[in-house]
Amino acid sequence: MVWFMPMSKSILITRPDHDLITKYFCAWSNELVDFAKSKMIKVYDLKGKKSNKKKFLSYINIRCPSLIFLNGHGNADIFAGYGDEPMVGVETILKDAIVYARSCEVGKNLGLILVQNGAHSFIGYNRKFFCGYTPEKITKPLEDEIAGLFLKPSNLIISTLLKSNSVQEAHNRSRKSMYKNFRKMVSSTSTFEERYSARWLWSNLHSQVIFGDPLKTI
Amino acid sequence: MNDKIENSTEDIILDPELSEQLKKLVLERVGSMPDTLRMSVGSGELTKDDILKHVEQRDNIGNQVIEMELEFLRDLANGMVYAYE
Repeated sequence: MVWFMPMSKSILITRPDHDLITKYFCAWSNELVDFAKSKMIKVYDLKGKKSNKKKFLSYINIRCPSLIFLNGHGNADIFAGYGDEPMVGVETILKDAIVYARSCEVGKNLGLILVQNGAHSFIGYNRKFFCGYTPEKITKPLEDEIAGLFLKPSNLIISTLLKSNSVQEAHNRSRKSMYKNFRKMVSSTSTFEERYSARWLWSNLHSQVIFGDPLKTI
Repeated sequence: MNDKIENSTEDIILDPELSEQLKKLVLERVGSMPDTLRMSVGSGELTKDDILKHVEQRDNIGNQVIEMELEFLRDLANGMVYAYE
């Protein structure tokens, strides 16, 4: 008789912090780390310089996380870690994981290839990921309300998945949240900065894509 | 029957005359960006003047901004931004 250990839920987060936007992504990911821990989900947190290819592949191969949250820079074929060192490419195998890439353009090609290589599902963006921010707030990213309009809907993908909802549900909730923010930003009660940056959020809403099994949960 | 033919984004960008008109329009729109706002796109942290330069030079970021503005204007015009679901 063969006994199988039940796979425990776990999340691997890469969050470099070598430039302004990765610092923002890193800071805004804190609440997701805390949330995962509160749900008793194991967190593998590759923060700052730990976001490198060697460590990433080591965690992928040994820990087999069920959810992978990639923060950083990317393009159609490569996702990068700390210092923009390439970390995930078309040869990478992220078997049986749900992947969300908060990055530019990874949803153009790489996301689909990761699914073809064995990932269950992928959410990302097939164009540039735009994010507005307030120059006075760069030392306190979590207090930047403009950035929050872009990053909270993005965080919602991970928090929805951590609550054992499906990939499709996470995608839908995030898009709904972006649209809600968008409507607020173009309303008469918004600030000039909110109204202007609404078009950037509109672009993110339309470039967020999903590949693989939409019904998968972690 | 509506026989209006709408140019695709690619058509506009490839047509020199339309492309130049579009660039001027986008430069005007970017010109109204508040100085108290910044855009992050890729590894770029961009002020209004930075974006204006990218659009003027029609480089990768400039073209992405032009494409984004065009799509937004289209969705505004066809009412999609108010009826999205």
